[in-house]
Amino acid sequence: MLGLKQIGGRLAQLIFVLWAVATILFLIFRLMPGNPLAAYIDPTFTEEQQLILMAKFGLDRPLWEQYFIYLWNLLQGELGDSFFYRQPVFDRVLELLPNTLILTFSSLIVAYAFGIIAGAWLAWRRGGLAERVAIPIVLTTRALPEFWLGMLLLAIFSFSLGWFPAGGTRSPGEEYSSLFALYSSTDFLAHLVLPAATLAIYSQGLPLLLMRSNMLDVMGEDFVTMARIKGLSSWTVVVRHAARNALLPVVTSFAIAVGYQIQGNVVVETVFSWPGLGRELVNAVSASDYPLAQGAFLMIAIVVVLMNLLADLLYSLLDPRISHA
Amino acid sequence: MHESLDTQIESRSLIKQFFDSLHLPTGDPFAVAGLIIYAAFVAVALSADVIATHDPTEILYTPAYELAADRSPGQEGYILGTTSLGRDIFSQLVYGSRSALLIGLTAAVMVALIGTLVGLLAGYFGGLIDTILMRLADVAFGIPFLPFVIVLAAFLEPSIWNVVLAMALVLWRDTGRVIRAQVLTLRTRAYVEAARVSGSSDLKIVFTHIAPNVLPLSFLYGTIAIGWAILTEASISFLGFGDPETISWGYMLQDAYASQALSQRAYYWFVPPGLCIILVVVAGFFISRGYEEILFPKLKD
Amino acid sequence: MSELQDNNILLSVRDLKVAYRVGSKDVMAVDGASFDVPAGAIVGVVGESGCGKSTLVRALTRVLARSARIAGGEAFFEGTELFGLSEPDMNKLRWRDIAFIPQSAMNSLDPVYTVEAQLHEVLMQRGGMNRKEARQRSAELFEMVGIEPQRLRDYPHQFSGGMRQRVAIALALTLEPKLIIADEPVTALDVIVQRQILDQLKELQQRLGISVILVTHDISVVAYTCDKMVVMYAGRVTESGDTATVLTAPFHPYTMGLYNAFPDLAAAGGVLTPIQGAPPSLISPPPGCRFAERCPFCQAACRTVVPALIEVSEGHNTACHRVAEAADLRVKAAATETWEANA
Repeated sequence: MLGLKQIGGRLAQLIFVLWAVATILFLIFRLMPGNPLAAYIDPTFTEEQQLILMAKFGLDRPLWEQYFIYLWNLLQGELGDSFFYRQPVFDRVLELLPNTLILTFSSLIVAYAFGIIAGAWLAWRRGGLAERVAIPIVLTTRALPEFWLGMLLLAIFSFSLGWFPAGGTRSPGEEYSSLFALYSSTDFLAHLVLPAATLAIYSQGLPLLLMRSNMLDVMGEDFVTMARIKGLSSWTVVVRHAARNALLPVVTSFAIAVGYQIQGNVVVETVFSWPGLGRELVNAVSASDYPLAQGAFLMIAIVVVLMNLLADLLYSLLDPRISHA
Repeated sequence: MHESLDTQIESRSLIKQFFDSLHLPTGDPFAVAGLIIYAAFVAVALSADVIATHDPTEILYTPAYELAADRSPGQEGYILGTTSLGRDIFSQLVYGSRSALLIGLTAAVMVALIGTLVGLLAGYFGGLIDTILMRLADVAFGIPFLPFVIVLAAFLEPSIWNVVLAMALVLWRDTGRVIRAQVLTLRTRAYVEAARVSGSSDLKIVFTHIAPNVLPLSFLYGTIAIGWAILTEASISFLGFGDPETISWGYMLQDAYASQALSQRAYYWFVPPGLCIILVVVAGFFISRGYEEILFPKLKD
Repeated sequence: MSELQDNNILLSVRDLKVAYRVGSKDVMAVDGASFDVPAGAIVGVVGESGCGKSTLVRALTRVLARSARIAGGEAFFEGTELFGLSEPDMNKLRWRDIAFIPQSAMNSLDPVYTVEAQLHEVLMQRGGMNRKEARQRSAELFEMVGIEPQRLRDYPHQFSGGMRQRVAIALALTLEPKLIIADEPVTALDVIVQRQILDQLKELQQRLGISVILVTHDISVVAYTCDKMVVMYAGRVTESGDTATVLTAPFHPYTMGLYNAFPDLAAAGGVLTPIQGAPPSLISPPPGCRFAERCPFCQAACRTVVPALIEVSEGHNTACHRVAEAADLRVKAAATETWEANA
């Protein structure tokens, strides 16, 4: 295992990064030209009413004081109220997080399962026709604009073929007694297919290429040659030895991919009107709903930073050379 | 001995030296295909005025003064048809290459420049400078890329320059780290030691002895950044935070999406811009892959 | 020595050729090697690095690098011709009859599994044992090679270099093979540990009646360990025979030179005289004797005519044009100046 000291170091780094991101965010939102309350204040408000509102949001105080109030509030999970929904940002963000996580994890699990198997297979069949055809195709999927792929799938499978619904998480009129009832319904799954497929098609390239190149490296290792000299079955040689060793960095990359995907979800959630954090961020920014935009941004940043940390920990856990040092 | 080598290098033409040190990947067929696509793309962007059949922003009318909207490809001479507002799709596509080129190149140059500078300074001087720059890189890795660009682009003036700036503010991190690692190994090389002992100034060592050796790496990360920048700008424009004055492929896609092109199955409208983005980005991938094989050759078997 | 007298040959290699594909050309890394391995004997294969000795023994397992292939020859193992076997039949024979000890046990053990898991894998998949039997057998094997069975649960990186080599020996013994090929098994170790491992190997070999092919670049290892020896140079066998005979009365100048170039494993001291120069490129090998370029006794014929491997005494073969003058050459070869003059 990692020593306590290393874990402490990583945690300190994590806190530092989160603090820095929060500070950058504060600067962006407070130093921008224009009155941050512009969207909130009705033009008919009197001067006096405006001042009361400014005071309510602490905007009448000096900048440094606002900064410390902001940090103090953040520490308590207090993200302010959404201008638009007139409800606490924290509740709103927490409400949307599951949708984003379900979309992210379902697509990434599919992408990784496919990418790992296909990558291992391509490495095993190296130098063949399959490789010459597959690699350019995989590179092309990495070059796809995700939202365009989403549009294409939407146009084909929803509007032209009518197989899947066009957006959202549930059909109009459907009501569910609980979140669990919603997430386990076939209606929800039908809504999930196209956005998840979009993200999966885009994401499978990373594990595939990574797995393939790791496999090629590992297959040149002595222990793989020895496994063959031992007369072990091809399955044992390729899967138990080569793939198991090649898998290590790929599994680690999963955590990083989660962090990456969550920020990239912004466009795909928008295309499919998927009520997640990313779409909320876009809507909030468009509507100048600063507290909500800030909250959604911070929540995304937290996931990104946590996933980077998780990647490090996973690696040290899965590699006996580190975990049994 | 050392000085004579210096003057020798300096006497060579700077431009030739630059291209030599880039080691363009002309041996790999995919990389060559990528270079050809790039060349074609640059040619179209430069001669957009000649190739385009219409003004891309002009609203077109029939001779009977009816709006020439939703024409399918080929109909009434519109090569790729028209949008639901009566604008020529083909011309938009051609002009879109211009903004893609502009965004891709400026972003690539900025990312490579900032990243290389950070890497050189952090790697060569070490100590406090290194610590500060690398903590900054940590922060850049913690910033959600696309949301950051959205927020910055929305709050600053919506222009392609702000999009490029926002991208460069985050994307330098990968280049910076890689170049730093490279510099760390270079600075222990004998010729760098020799230059230090012979009393060359730090700046001279960094820019005449170390920088030329990391140039191919900067270039590699620059080519990767081109694709990233074009994809990101498309996303930003699609979300509606792009430059409203500029016709870009992302803008076209946003226009199509917002105008119900999907439900009207107007594939001719939203497929071509996507294909153009893919073509340019994938060309960048091919070039950088060919590049990597030159920079980090792996023994075949 | 008595068991060497009978004609019980376990493995007989005849005119083996192994080619590497380099660009569009074939390079013969092993170019017509022949030798016998008697049952219950240790046979040393000795030569400088790159002479093809590792390729030669790897060919006997038929697990070669992707660019390499067996280009000719035969290998009879208990009368079965190995190169003609189907891949499934060959796979049945691997490890059960012919096991392998690699040079670097570190790289040849899978880093993500415990040593026990790697022993069990072979015992269960190849030996048909159940888990309980495999556990018992693993402990037995560890005791045989002198490691406490508690250490079975450790990962490869937790062992020292010498210990790992013992693990590799234990692995080779799992299925009680008839032949163990040891490819430079002690090269990476310091001299004291080398001796311990070689003693261990020899003790087990004698106790279990196994044959061993021991590949090494170090002629003192051969002198210390092997009953018979095969000297290779640039892909060809230059001399072979009983170790005692070959080393006391070598007939090939290369063997004489090798003997000068290594310290005695058993007793320190003596002047080391290296052979000057380097082996010829195998991409375009010289037409005659491949050692000619470096040989202090080279004559005109040596550069044009390939010397045949001929029997100089019972079981002792040499490929040299000047075998008749061997006694004379031996005297000259013992002098350091002979080898320096050629440089």
